[in-house]
Amino acid sequence: MEFILAAVVALSAAALGSPLLQAAGRRLKASAYASIAALVVAIAMVAANTAYGGSVSYFGRLLVSDVLGDLFALVVLSVSLAVAVVSVYSSHSSQNMPSYYSLLLFSALGMLLLSYSADLLMLFVAWELMSLPTYVLAGFDKKRAESNEAAAKYAILGALSSAIILYAISLTYGVTGTTQISGVVAKMASEPFNPLFSVAILLFIVGFGFKMSIVPFHMWVPDAYEGAPPAVATLFATATKKAGFVAAIRVVLAIATVYALAPNSVFTLANVFAVLAVVTMTLGNVAALTQKSMTRLLAYSSIAQAGYILVGFAIFAYSQQTGLYTYNAVLGMTGSLFHIVNHAIMKGAAFLAATLVLIQLKRSDLDIYNGLAKRMPITAFTLAISFLALGGIPPLNGFWSKLLLFLSVINTPLAWVAVAAILNSAFSLGYYFWVIKRMYLDQGESTERVNEPFGFVVIFAVLVGLMIGIGLFPQQFIAFAHAAASSLFT
Amino acid sequence: MMPVLSILLFLPIAASVPAYLILRWRKSAGLWFTLAVALAELVIALYVFYFVYANFSGLGHSGLGAYALAEQYSWVSVASFGVNYLVGVDGLSSPLVLATALLTVFAVIGSRRLIDRSEPAYYSLILLFEGAIIGVFLSLNLILFYFFWDLVMIPMFFLIGIWGGDRRKYAAMKFMIFIFTGSMILLLALMAAYMGVSPTTFDIPSLAGRIPASIQYLPLLASFIGFGIKLPVFPLHSWLPDAYTQAPAPVAVLLAGVQSAMGGYGIIRISIGLFPQAAEQWAWAFMTVGIVTMFYGAAVAILSKNLRSMFAYTSIAGMGFVVLGSFASVASGSIIGMQGAILEMFVHAFTAGSLFMLAGYIQKGLGTTDISLMNGLRSVIPRAGTLLVFACVAAMALPPFGSFVAEVLVIVGGIHATPYAAVAILVPVIIGGYMLWMIKRAVLSPPTPGAAGGDMHGVDAAVLGLYFVPLIIMLFFSILVLGPSAPVVQHLLQLVSH
Repeated sequence: MEFILAAVVALSAAALGSPLLQAAGRRLKASAYASIAALVVAIAMVAANTAYGGSVSYFGRLLVSDVLGDLFALVVLSVSLAVAVVSVYSSHSSQNMPSYYSLLLFSALGMLLLSYSADLLMLFVAWELMSLPTYVLAGFDKKRAESNEAAAKYAILGALSSAIILYAISLTYGVTGTTQISGVVAKMASEPFNPLFSVAILLFIVGFGFKMSIVPFHMWVPDAYEGAPPAVATLFATATKKAGFVAAIRVVLAIATVYALAPNSVFTLANVFAVLAVVTMTLGNVAALTQKSMTRLLAYSSIAQAGYILVGFAIFAYSQQTGLYTYNAVLGMTGSLFHIVNHAIMKGAAFLAATLVLIQLKRSDLDIYNGLAKRMPITAFTLAISFLALGGIPPLNGFWSKLLLFLSVINTPLAWVAVAAILNSAFSLGYYFWVIKRMYLDQGESTERVNEPFGFVVIFAVLVGLMIGIGLFPQQFIAFAHAAASSLFT
Repeated sequence: MMPVLSILLFLPIAASVPAYLILRWRKSAGLWFTLAVALAELVIALYVFYFVYANFSGLGHSGLGAYALAEQYSWVSVASFGVNYLVGVDGLSSPLVLATALLTVFAVIGSRRLIDRSEPAYYSLILLFEGAIIGVFLSLNLILFYFFWDLVMIPMFFLIGIWGGDRRKYAAMKFMIFIFTGSMILLLALMAAYMGVSPTTFDIPSLAGRIPASIQYLPLLASFIGFGIKLPVFPLHSWLPDAYTQAPAPVAVLLAGVQSAMGGYGIIRISIGLFPQAAEQWAWAFMTVGIVTMFYGAAVAILSKNLRSMFAYTSIAGMGFVVLGSFASVASGSIIGMQGAILEMFVHAFTAGSLFMLAGYIQKGLGTTDISLMNGLRSVIPRAGTLLVFACVAAMALPPFGSFVAEVLVIVGGIHATPYAAVAILVPVIIGGYMLWMIKRAVLSPPTPGAAGGDMHGVDAAVLGLYFVPLIIMLFFSILVLGPSAPVVQHLLQLVSH
């Protein structure tokens, strides 16, 4: 507990302090370094909590410290750190740098609290603390029309999703008389079916679905990713998206252990998740294939990856309803959580590579990637490895989590999800390899070397090392994901 | 004891990085280094081959005891999800490992004159490719197998796409899309096998004979599609002519020679080995696929106007023999057909390899491999012309080459299963027909006056002659392959019939 508090204090202090540094007339970059330091401290604290914390709840059970929370906190804070580092190089007017970092840290703080939330109200407060700064960050390039458009679109849909979540919370409170998630679960265990509560669950899925970017709540994703400053788009794709997943796990999957949505065997949570998973991955992949811009391609690929993650949710809900296939459900949730970690690494690497191309070459259409291997070899290599990992090719990390996810449904009545997911994976290689072909086989407009800044190179090296290293030696990571997944089973 | 198999497996993969660096530093030193690695690998492969041959008669019949050499470590173990690093070698894999190591040496030597740009990446990828293929043949854990199975296609994509012919990008993309789709479908079968037994496992020796017959059918079909694309079988072959004709000659040697054997190996080890009852039920269908593939390959080869395309389709026909022989044994219970299939994979590596390498030298010497533009190779480029005649005779499966033994065994095995399989005898006849026509037309015809071309160097011709050594040895001493593979095949067929 004291570790998490320390992380919260570190982030809050830096978030509040970084505008003050400007007021105090310090160098503008001081705020960046302070923020990076605060994030490093926060990550260290969460890591310490993972090692020594144990499972406890505090603040009147508003927050709970468990392995699941540690896993998500580590992911979102690490991504925030990477974004903070590369933002030093991006081209925002440096006058606004302190406020940029302040917003980034507030959002990270929201995600940290969200990871450990055990109460619906705490969850909502953390959700808003995470979301509100990102609306501003999306429009941070205030002179660019697309950035303004992205911010407006994102803010409106984000506000809508917040409203939906709040409505779902009030319905839940109306039915159960508590906002404590464990209390809600205990209460509903004895109640077989309540239409109002079922509506509340669906509204939760919709509200969280916006952030998770699952179809059909994904419309804002490509525009926001494209319009937002590229480093911020990385944050959306790899961190706030994960926050949607942790909220869904904390709320919807917890309820799924006791409550089956409808009194028949068709309209069940398992089927809802299974259909959402297949629709999301299929639409994401098909749309990605037709894109002409790298950011949009990554946005749709990110949508498709959300579909894979949902496969674990589906088998979990199925197993909880029927009492069968517990082994599959453990595999599936381990796979989901592991894929969330992997996705942050793979997508983070891909987005940061695209960010660097955009910063250095001022373009994000796919044609600029022709012959990139000669111009920016490290960036091209990072992008290629991350695409192979996203495609699920061994020996990279994405293979293992996809393996666990697909294994978990292969011998169940949800086997069709595995077949759809396999075909989707094969299909997705179409556009992943198309880009690799452009970078390595095609001739570019120029073969002149382009500078790759040191900060980017370090982060690329770390991410590529993680993708290959986890791919070869996944033991510790699968064990971590398994420990987090096990906490869901009661 | 020394981990011989792991050394065999990781030597080329580990050497690919230093090879790149040394080639960047000094080209000739790097070439020697690459060749030294390939030769060292060959020595280890020969030792393993010899070890299997010397010990096969004393081996057990099930589990790891059936493998002459095996190494096992825990790789991933979380709760009850486990993946082992498990490699082993028996009479089925040892000839293919040897063929891979030998062909890689030939390909490295052959690349010296045929590859003239970006050498560091090229040789590094060749070594990576060799290690991955050997990994496929040695892996006895399905996930480890799948690791190497997929790893094979990454270097191949770049080898075709960067160093290939005019349509190389198209060929590389098509190759990638087909092969990856196949491998994803294969993964379905592997996952079903894992979940099909209790307690779950990915280890092939522990899975064999334990998967309930009722759930074998769909995984069998999925695995056959996955392996069939690589082999390839009709109608999953359409990537192959592009890849084989666009790849640079030494890469085509490896593609046709050993990459296709991966498919045949997978069919025997996994499709038949893990799903034997279903394989027996559907054996007639797969035998039909094999026969259709042979005739299709041979028939399209007749129409080929280009030497490389003719060789590519001849190679498809050769792979039809592997499918026919394997499933003929499953249907009949006689080991002859599958033994023939294993020998066919071994000899096909060298027949196809020599053909594609020669096509590369002819392309280099004459600037074309269009049959209608080639006249009098005998006098224009006498060394390549003469060797081409030998290579064609080997591809026709005539003595003194081991391909004769392999195809006879497959056809006899096929007749054991059903008399209709005797039609397969027509395939070598068709192949002989168009090969002889091509030789008459291109090699023995009078040369166009003033025609000139660059012939092979004496060293290259001598190295190419070495392709025929294993082929001739296999005519007289086919026991080297057939002996160690007999207990493996017998063990597989026992699984079918219980």
